[in-house]
Amino acid sequence: MSEDRRRILNMLAEGKLTAEEAEQLLDALAARAASAASTSEPAAGPAIKGDPSALIAALPKFLYVKVVSVNGDNVDVKVPLALVRSGLKLTSLIPPQAMNEINDQMSQHGMSIDFNNLKPEDIDELIEALREMEINVNSADGDNVRVYCA
Amino acid sequence: MRLWPYALDLSIAPPDRERPIRLWLPLFLMWPTLAGLALLIFVVTIPTDAVLLLIGRSYHHFTLLAYRCLGLLAETRGLSIHVNADRNDINMTFY
Repeated sequence: MSEDRRRILNMLAEGKLTAEEAEQLLDALAARAASAASTSEPAAGPAIKGDPSALIAALPKFLYVKVVSVNGDNVDVKVPLALVRSGLKLTSLIPPQAMNEINDQMSQHGMSIDFNNLKPEDIDELIEALREMEINVNSADGDNVRVYCA
Repeated sequence: MRLWPYALDLSIAPPDRERPIRLWLPLFLMWPTLAGLALLIFVVTIPTDAVLLLIGRSYHHFTLLAYRCLGLLAETRGLSIHVNADRNDINMTFY
């Protein structure tokens, strides 16, 4: 089963899509796959016919970070995914000298991420992956950290 | 580009107070200042980018960088931070 197909079925199972919307999406996927198979060119035009606002509304909009500690301290942060996307896209515009400096500083602090390798198409993929991400950390002393999109 | 946040709702509830202190900061009052600053930045970056492009530098995107930074500010709308520590309750939301 393809990743897109699984995602649609998951959204249907979670009640984020109606059966009609899921069918519409699956048809669009099938049409795109058939078109891609018949021609080497990718399918032109929108894959989804009709008003996609219901589908867009079903997509997660926020990244939530919730920290609950045993001593009663709580932190709850709600970050718009658009802010995450804009922030990541900004990295591709940082001047090379500044980017090298950022990479050096990050590697000195134990995070060897080379932002020069982050391409705009990767960013879109990363954001898509973030939508399905859920992290739950339960520490031995009872602290709980949860990161998810909704 | 979306509009910048127009207000910041800040709520602070110390343990010794019955009702929280609630502030609505009118961020839209800063829009003219921010717009003026943006204009000044573009006055510098547009000629800089033009010169960099003419002399053949591969990086000539300072204007776009400034524009995207302003866009990033706009995307803070909806950002919400809630901290509860030492019985203090702080809530901050950008609208």
